[in-house]
This record gives sequence, C-alpha cells and structure tokens, in this order.
Amino acid sequence: MRWGMVIDLKRCIGCYGCQLACKAEHGTPPGVYYARVLKSEEGQYPTVRNLFLPVLCNHCEDPPCVEACPTGASFKWEEDGIVDIDHDLCVGCRSCMMACPYTNRYFNDQVPHYHPQGATPYEAARAAPHPSNVVMKCNFCRDRVRAGKPPACVANCPTVARIFGDLDDPTSEVSRLIKERGGFTLHPEVGTGPSVYYLPA
Amino acid sequence: MTEISAKYEQLIEDLRRDYRPQREWGEGRGVFLVIGHFLVGVAAGAWLFGIIFNYVPGLVAGFLLAGGGGIAHLAFLGRPERFWRMVRHVRTAWISRGFVGLTLFLVGGVLYLPPLVLTGWPWAADSMLGYLGWGMAAFGMVVLIVYMGFVYTASKGIPFWNSPLHPVLYMAYALRGGIAALLVTMALFNAPSVDATSLVTIWIAVTAVVIVLFALEIQGALTGGNPAARRSVREMLAGRMAVYFYGGTLLIGLVVPLALLSGHIAPLSVGILAAIGLFSALGDFFMKYTTIRAGIYLPLRPRQGRHVE
Amino acid sequence: MNMMNVMNTTAQPIDDVWIPSSCSLCYGTCSILAHRVDGVVVKIEGNPESAVGKGRLCGKGVSGIMTHYDPNRLTRPLRRTNPKKGLNEDPKWKEISWGEALDEICAVLKKVRAEDPRKLVVQRTTTVTASRIPFQTFAAAFGTPNFSVSGGGQHCGNGAHLISGIMHASWSVVPDFEHCNYAIYFGASKGHSAGHASCSNMGKAAEARARGMKMIVVDPFCNFAAAKASEWVPLRVGTDAALALAMCNVMVNELGIYDGPYLQAKTNAPYLVGPDKLYVRHPETKQPLVWDAQSSTARPYTDVKAADMALEGEFTVNGTPCRPSFHCLRDHLRKFTPEWAAEISTIPATTVRRLAKEFGTEARVGSTIVVDGVTLPYRPVAAIAFRGSQGHMNSVYNFYAVDLLNHLVGAADVVGSCLGFNPACHGHPETGKLRYIPSAGPDGLMVTGMWMGYHYPYPPSEPRLPTNLGLQDLFVLGMTSPFLDSTDREEMWERFDLPYRPEVMVNFGANLVMSIANKEAVAASLAKYKFMVSFDLFLTETSNFADIVLPDCSYLQSLDSRSNFPFIFSLPAGMGEWCWPIRQPVLPPDGEQRNCADVLLEIADRVGFRADLNAAYNASLKLQAPHRLEGETRYSYAQICDAELKNNFGSERGLEWFKEQGLIKWKKKPAEVYWRPFVDVRVPIYWEFMLPIGNKIAAIAEPRGLKIPMEYYQPLPDFLPCTSHCCQKPDFDFYAFYYRDIVHTNSFTMENPWLDEAARLDPFSYTIAINRAQARKRALHDGQLVWIENEAGRKVKGRLKLTEAIHPEGIGIGAMCGHWSDGMPVAKGKGVFFNELLELDWAHVSPVNNNLDLCAKVRIVPAEVTP
Repeated sequence: MRWGMVIDLKRCIGCYGCQLACKAEHGTPPGVYYARVLKSEEGQYPTVRNLFLPVLCNHCEDPPCVEACPTGASFKWEEDGIVDIDHDLCVGCRSCMMACPYTNRYFNDQVPHYHPQGATPYEAARAAPHPSNVVMKCNFCRDRVRAGKPPACVANCPTVARIFGDLDDPTSEVSRLIKERGGFTLHPEVGTGPSVYYLPA
Repeated sequence: MTEISAKYEQLIEDLRRDYRPQREWGEGRGVFLVIGHFLVGVAAGAWLFGIIFNYVPGLVAGFLLAGGGGIAHLAFLGRPERFWRMVRHVRTAWISRGFVGLTLFLVGGVLYLPPLVLTGWPWAADSMLGYLGWGMAAFGMVVLIVYMGFVYTASKGIPFWNSPLHPVLYMAYALRGGIAALLVTMALFNAPSVDATSLVTIWIAVTAVVIVLFALEIQGALTGGNPAARRSVREMLAGRMAVYFYGGTLLIGLVVPLALLSGHIAPLSVGILAAIGLFSALGDFFMKYTTIRAGIYLPLRPRQGRHVE
Repeated sequence: MNMMNVMNTTAQPIDDVWIPSSCSLCYGTCSILAHRVDGVVVKIEGNPESAVGKGRLCGKGVSGIMTHYDPNRLTRPLRRTNPKKGLNEDPKWKEISWGEALDEICAVLKKVRAEDPRKLVVQRTTTVTASRIPFQTFAAAFGTPNFSVSGGGQHCGNGAHLISGIMHASWSVVPDFEHCNYAIYFGASKGHSAGHASCSNMGKAAEARARGMKMIVVDPFCNFAAAKASEWVPLRVGTDAALALAMCNVMVNELGIYDGPYLQAKTNAPYLVGPDKLYVRHPETKQPLVWDAQSSTARPYTDVKAADMALEGEFTVNGTPCRPSFHCLRDHLRKFTPEWAAEISTIPATTVRRLAKEFGTEARVGSTIVVDGVTLPYRPVAAIAFRGSQGHMNSVYNFYAVDLLNHLVGAADVVGSCLGFNPACHGHPETGKLRYIPSAGPDGLMVTGMWMGYHYPYPPSEPRLPTNLGLQDLFVLGMTSPFLDSTDREEMWERFDLPYRPEVMVNFGANLVMSIANKEAVAASLAKYKFMVSFDLFLTETSNFADIVLPDCSYLQSLDSRSNFPFIFSLPAGMGEWCWPIRQPVLPPDGEQRNCADVLLEIADRVGFRADLNAAYNASLKLQAPHRLEGETRYSYAQICDAELKNNFGSERGLEWFKEQGLIKWKKKPAEVYWRPFVDVRVPIYWEFMLPIGNKIAAIAEPRGLKIPMEYYQPLPDFLPCTSHCCQKPDFDFYAFYYRDIVHTNSFTMENPWLDEAARLDPFSYTIAINRAQARKRALHDGQLVWIENEAGRKVKGRLKLTEAIHPEGIGIGAMCGHWSDGMPVAKGKGVFFNELLELDWAHVSPVNNNLDLCAKVRIVPAEVTP
C-alpha cells in the first residue's frame, strides 16, 4: 500500500482552495505552508499560457529528507508510504529543508497567529498547539486518511483536480490516470521517486 | 499590520520569486551554523597538525575551538535541549555522523589532553585512558574533517552545493584552518614552536588546491545546466554575496595573507605569521558564509507539457 | 506526528458537531458544513448533499473562519461624536448601547417617514444574497423606492442582468457545461472565479474541459478563464461588440448559417418593421404583423404558423413598405465586416472569420438529442458575457451583440447551448410552490417568471418625470443607479424638479466609497446625508461617514431561510437538482452583535410600520394561509423564516426540520432545464421597444437640458465607443481595467489574513499588470512603483508586474484593493484602488441602462519611492 496523489493540471484553475483548505484543516501558523499553488506563464504574447502548479510534499519513495535527518524525526511509514515528522524528535537543524528538492518543508518559528492582537479562538485551538522551532510539512492528512476520508485538499478541490489512492494497486484511479494520461513527477532527474503525479494541462 | 516578523515578510517575498534563496542556514540565528561549521573544521585541522608536529598548544587550540563550535551548533538548533538525539541516525545522516564525530573528539580530548597540560592528573597520557582518548579524538578528527562537505552534497534541494568537489574543498579548508590555528597559537605561547617554513609551505600548497577546486566548482555550476546553480554563482560573484566574497574571501582571506607573506609590508615575524593565520582563517569563514548563503533552491516553475523547470 | 492525534485522544470534546449552512464570502453562497468543537469553529467544508458547491469550496469559502474570528470586528454600536464627515475626518466613535442607538435611529426615521419616506435611501451589499428580502421589504414598507445594491449592482448588473432577463428570463447566462462543445466567453469567467454558482460551475467547467469542450475566451487579460481556454483572444478593452457583431455578420451573410425555424417560432425575427423602425401593427388589436407566406398577406403573429412566417422580403402593408425584422438585422449586420472589427478591436480579421465559422458550424443547426428520454433541440455552442463586456458605455449593445450569436443559431436554453440560470421551475413536487415559468408579455415577448426586484426587465416601464433619486423611473432600462452619488446628481435632481432630497441612509455592509467610483465623488455624496446608519462587520471606508454603526453578525452567526433563492440567481444551471439550502447560526453573537434582519423588524415596530412590513414580507415571500403574516403581529425573523419554509415545503418542514437537514432538494426535469421548446414565448432579436422608450425619455429630458444620444436607443446593436476609446491625449496609451481576482471578492476579503497571504503570494493580485514588451519600450521594469493616471488627473500608485499575458494596450488591476481604513488593518495598503480612476457622472455611464463605464484611458508615470 503506497498512498499517492494525482493532480490534474487540466482541471486546476488556481483557486487556492487546496492551499487554504489545508491551512484550515491543520491550523498551520504564518510562514508554514503544507500546500501551495505556484503560478507562472509561458510563451510570448499573444500565444501565452498561464500555468498553475499546486505543490505539496511528494512523499517520495526515496526521501532525501529522511536520509538527511540526524534524529530520525523525519521518517517514512512502512505500511502506507507516507513521509511524516515526529515533532518530539525534531531538533530544528533544518537539514531536511536543504535536502528536499521541492522546498516543501517549513520551519515553524513565527508566532502562531496572524493578528497582532493575538490568537483567534480558531488559532488557539488549532495553530497554537503546534510545537515551535521544529520543521513541519504535509503528511497526506494521515489522520483523515486512516479514518477513511481523503486528505483535506483532495476533498475540497472544486474542480475535482486532485485524486488520492493506492499507487501499488494497478486498478486504482490514481494508477489508471497516471497510465492513461501520462502522469509525470516533478524533477524526476533528482531520483527521489515522488508519489505525487501531475497530469498535463 | 499583522504581527509578523521581518523573516516572514522576507519569506513571502522569496516565495513570489522563481529562484528562492535558502535563508535558514546562514541568516539570523542561522549564522551560528556557519560559525559552528567553521570552528569545528579549524579545530580538526588544528588537532591534525598538532599531532603531526607534536605541538600540544595546537591540540589545546583544537579542543577549545571544537568546544566553541559545539556551542555554536547548539545555538543554531531550534530545539537545542534535544541535541543528544542527533546520535540516532548515523546510518544515513551526515549530520548525525558529524555529531558523533564531534562527541568522540571532545570526549577523547577530555581523556587525552589534561594529563599533557596539567599536573597531578589522575591518569597519564600514556595510560589506557590516555590511549583511548587519543584514539577517540583521532577518529573524531577524521570524521570532522571529512563529514562537512558531504552534508552539503546531500542537500538535494540546493543544486549549487551538489558538486562532488565540495567535500574535498571542505577538507582543504580544515587543513588551511589547522595551519592558521597553529600559526596563531605559536604567537600566543612561548612554547617550543613548529618550523614556520613547513607550515607556510603547507599553507601555500593547500591554498593553491583550494583555489583550483573552487574555480572548478564555480565552473561546474555555471556549465552544469542547472539554472539554480548558475543563479547561486551569480549571487556570489555579482549579487547579494558579492561584498562578502570579494571583501571577505578574496581580500581578507587571500590578498592580505599573500601580501604579508611576501615580506614587503613588514618583515616576517611570529606576529606577522599569526596575522597571516588569522586573516586566512577569517577568509575561510567568509568562504563558507558566502557559499552557504548563495544557496538557491531548485526551482519549481510549471511548464507546458510534461515537465517542470 | 500530527498534533491532532494528541488532541483528539487525550480530551473528549464536549461539543463536536457539523452544522449545515451557507457561505457568505461571495454571492455564490455555496453550501457549507461548519465544524464546531467546544464552541469554536475549527473547519468549514462544503456540503456534499447540496447541489450548490457539491461538497467543495473555493479558497475563500474555506477561509471564512478567519473572517468570522477577526479581532477587528465590530462588537458594539458606535456613535460618531465628530459632526464633520469627510475622507480624512476621524469620526471619534464612542460606544453606545443598542437602546440609545435604536432610539436615535427610530426618531430620525419616524420624522422622515412622516415628512416624505422617499428621503430614505436603503443600500445593501450584493455579497449577502439573503439580505435582499429583509432590506427590500423594509424599504417598501417604509415607503421609499430608493434602493441600491451599490457597486456590485452598478458595475455588474445593469447590463448583464437586463439582457439575461430579457433574452433568457434569468439573472445571468452560462454554457450548458454537460453538453456544450464550443463556448465563447466575452469578458466573463464563469467556472473560473467567484460569482453565480461559483464552486458548482468550477466543477462543471472542469468536467467540460476534461470532456473536450472548447473554450474561447475573449478578454484583454489571460488570467483565470483565459488561462484554461483552448484559445485566448486578446482584444482592446471594451470592444466586445465589434467582434460579436462581425461574427454575426460572417455567420449570417458570408456563411448563411442561422436557425430559420427557431427565429420564426421563438423570436420576433418575422415581425414586420416599417420605415420608422417600428413594428407594423394591426390597426385595431395593435398586435405586430408578420408576413404569412401561405396567404401572402400580413397577419398578426398569433394567427400564423411559425413555419409560414417570412424572415425576409420587401412587403407593403396598408401602403407601408416593410420588412421582417430579421431582414433589417441581416442588412444592418453587413457593415460589421471582420476588417472593421479588426480595426476597432485589434483582433485579426482572419480570427474573426474563423471564430464565426467554428461557432456557426458547431452549432449544428437543426439537430436534436435525447436527454432523459426527452427529444430536445441540440445546439452545443454558447456565447456568454458578463461584467467585462457589459461594463462600458456600450453596455447594452455589447451584451446584446454577444447574445445575438446564440439566438441566430437557436442556441438559447436548449441542450448544449447558452442557458439562463434556471429560468423555469415546475415547483416543489409535493407542494407545487416555487413554480415559475416565463410567459408571453406585450407583443408576445418573454416576461421572466422570476426576478430579484420589483421592476422587471421586460416589459420596460413607461418613462416618466422621475421621482426616484436614481432616476430609474425615467431611465427605465437601468437598475442600480449612479445618480444617487454622482458628481452631477444635484444638477440632475434640479433639472427634473425632484421634489425632495436624500436625507437618511440605511446601509447594509456596502462599501460604496470604494465600490462605485473615485472616492471623492461618493464621499461628497455621503457627507451630505443628515443621518446615516451602517450595519457592518468592520469599520470600513464607508462606515467612516456614518452617524451610527451597528455591529452585524457574520454568516456563521446568522439565520436565513432564504440564503440562496431565487434559483435564477445562483443555483447551478443545467440538469441536476433543485436545491434550497438555508443558513443557520453556528456560533452565538459576540459582544453586542445582532442580526440585521431582527434589527430591521424592531425598527419597524418602534417606528410603527410593522403591518406594512408584514404585508411586504407576505408579498415578497408569496406567503399564503396558514403561513401568512397577520396584521401587526411582532413576528421574529426566525418565525418569518419558519413561515416561509413551511409555506414552500409543507407544514412538517419548518425551521427545525431545515436546521437538521440543512437543505431540501429534488431532481430537475429536462422540460424545466430545456424549457424553451415547451413554452410559447419569443425573445427580441430586434429591440423595437428601444425607440419609443428613447423618444419618451428624450421628450422628458431634452426640454430640461439633457441631451439623450439616440444612437444608444436604436433597435439593432452597434459598436459605440467609450470615452476611453475617444481619448487622443498624447502619452495616454493604455486602457486601464479591473478584474475580479480568484481569491478576493468585493471589498472585505482583503481583511482575511489567509486570503491576504494567498494574494501576496500571487503574482498578480496586488500588482498592476502590464504587457512586457510595452513596458520595456518605456524603460519600465518589473516591480517598479508607478502612478496610473486618468484623463481627469486622478491617479493611483502601485507596482508593475510585467507579463506576456495581457493585451499591449491593457493595464490590469485586481478589483477593490487599496484599502485605507484603519478598521481593516490587514487589508490596509494592500493592492491598488482601481476605482479611483473612474468618473461618476452622466458622461461616464451608459445612456440606456446607466451602467458605469469601467475602463479609463491612462498614462504611466514612474513614482519615486518615498524614503
């Protein structure tokens, strides 16, 4: 069983729904983004394409962050392939942030609230409990997944551009889509074996 | 206005750019990492040359510098109170290996050094404990000299650091730093000194190697095809880090020592030699500082079709 | 290890519920499930049961938590102590009690109502759809016709809603995503941004895209819709009509493609038109005549079989030479050559021809398809328009020309075509309530079955000497009026001998100082009000002018039985389900926040017009016995909501039932969705009514010194330039326009720190987009601080973003940014305040529907960075 995600760039409209649903699900403090949407353009007027790329931790098969972590805080779950962080073990050396070729890790050293007046009740409940001065990242909403729900970003996407499933199962929707639509990963030349695939725009 | 620090504002700005510089190592509290790496490298080199030239003040200098380096590392960590956990992952992590190396070095130093410099110590330098200490320190020293460069090559997120020359370069810095430490300690202590000519010769040779390796590394980054690596070189030679590179690495670390070495400024004395050592070491610090801060992340720019740049 | 693990296993929450309700970050009003744990809302997700959103939300919807929990929210009523009102005046607020506030408000309103209730202006924001009934009924019961939906109405509505109403019996139009093969978007972003049925449309549009629907987007900027388009067609700002008219011409005159049978049966194409451009009518019954090919005579349209009606030919009726209106249209179109269009719009003539050919061919005129067992006309093309194309002087013709493409090929409210949002409903299967169907009105033309205001788009009212402050009883094709706040409003009121002046304003959440036009104009207008009350979430640039500010409840604290209805507004179009969700409180009010609907009821009680208000609610909600509101009984808003729900869905389905279920839904039938073939109504492809209206308006206005440009009141569309198109000033080389960002809507989302953060990360949200080549030519660089200045000297400052994705003459700015109020500190200083570049007077609005001209010719001046 290896959890993976497929993001259909043909469907994605860059609405930031994934980025913000994730933030709402986990209460990530300012400066920490488990999911982001990158925007870029290609071509010259008038043949221009505006491109959107939602990114998140790729939960690589061969994660350089796990290799680089001196305490083992960064680890990969054997049973489902999710790459996770044990915040109790993290010493905050941030070498994982240098090791990740996709810059999907963030160091939590900001105050856990957005307004200078202090934490809102939501932030007190969801953002403040996050341990400070450690590294944080997406974990495919492991708790939701184990409860049978898809990750928050997948559940929320209004264009149904994100699909979640078992990459080890050749009949799963994710496996099928990758094969049929020519799914590709980011920076395959680095050799990390991401579990997040993209379908061409 | 949100209660947000300058670091956050900078992060937002960085995230808007295609080429995002890494700032965790080298900026703000991150400067302690650079200091730590620098001190530890010099310490290992000092210990090495202390052993080779049988020069105890060199060993002491190495030990003290290593201690300082350790403290600098702790100051850098987000959670320093958990530092001992870093021993857990020697199997794959270079930082773990470096931590073990430093620990062995310091413990070894505590066992081996005191009988050499203090009187009335419970055990002798040539006792079992002494030999154990010597062995541990030697092993630790080797690890410290070797590991640092590999930490950078393992950082797949920063193409500029991925050159295979990097570890060799860092080993060379350790040697250069070691010489520098010896030159400085020679001026501080009136103990039996080392043959200055040998030291200077080694310094010149290592410096030449450093120059060549560094040039090769720059050339590799510029022609290797990776835009982030090219960008890093630009930062270093013509961007944010240019001041530190030209002023620190080149001027302080190369031009001044060479000028002093030529004898034209003043006749070579122990003091001048110490000055050469100091400037050289400072130059090495700036070398590390600029290389680390010039690190640019592998970019993620969506492209039409099946790839991302 | 996720902290959630630790939290959930160590402490059992006392309260852990998911409550169905409705979002309110934009008027899309998608259905939500709000997760409340121990009294704190910790997550907002979509409601998968609802057809509105289908369980998903855009970035704004999920971020609603932070809008609700903003520490800058108002919690106490405030009273201004500094009597001076101005952009730079500090009101010097002091907190007062609700008792004091209401005492003062009611005293003022009592006085005004006794003198002349029309002195009251009631205004609301379009963001909260559910605010319509409470405020409309309040205004009606109070006795004032002076009602405004502020910037949202002024910018978006007068064109789009007018024509969607006349031609599609709905509030707006959208492609039939399930079946459309070829959609052309003119200045619209349905399915790629906020707005009507926003999240549902996003899903449908994506599905259509995956299925292979081609989408051509005509827009000066390649963002949002154009980013996903099969083809982006850049054009000079505000010239959509040129492209549309040329396409019509190519289709009809060069390619001979048009749907004859549709035009004969479902439009006024066969109606005979005389040399005076008016219908030739039966001398007694006054019905328009058509030429019956069978009998070779002219007979009323009601008496002739559609197939026998002539579409072309020169005829003489009672001595009058005449032609069918289609013939007039066809001839009229000839001058709109692709070369002409290229000159005006900068779209190459070859592109114009190609698009016309593609559209006309894919329309598959004459074909049918079976949906759910019903055989229906199949025209899988749709030309849609919205704010972009209708936000100009030529508002009416721009939109009308685009829609003409649809009607020429019969692609209107049939399978695959341009659909109105739910123009016909057969009602709830059990109660039969909520049934509405378009019907044939004067001259057989369609009257919509459902509308959002008292003044229907067709038939237009008779122009008369105005008594409304907005002059809508004179300019009968307008809806929201600029004349409430324009710089020439006093002149207008004097000109028309308006017997009163506005004195009091009740404002619900609208930020008109920012949302209508340049701030000085609206500020001057607001400063003159003797008394202003504003219901607000925050202290905005507009509440700065209020005498009393009342702390409103957010959507998470509010009850509304009608969060989404009517179906023409924001229920997804096409097959699927009818769906009626409600909004219910998830959290209690903070401090002294109160629900505006309750406050209005209390005001009515105190001022003494509760009976009128009850009657108004009965009329608006179409309440029938036994759920009708009686006499002066002081129903609470909750009781009124309960009555409405029971009235519509049966006595067992009142508020309590809905609070549990969240919504009610039932399947749509093909005869409802694709209703056109089943209802005998015609739409005008020749707007004969324009001339008489224009003449009547001129007859009233011109003797009073206001010249009515009759070229805007012709029955057939034309391209009429905006002020910006006529600007010859040197250096003024760019057309500045705004667009709605995907992460912001209206003016209050910039205060939400999550949305603000996303916008700060976005390349365009807070910057000024300019064509890269044009910037380079002027030695301008990326990130440079510049002034954008309009012809009148008004200017705004911002940072440039060089891009390939914009027309060389375009300057694109994200709407409604550039806040300056201290009451919204997160929003303050973010982005650029585009509306400062807009003038607000007769010369800058459409003379037909009074829609604001939303483009400006500008020049760029580098700004120094203040140290």
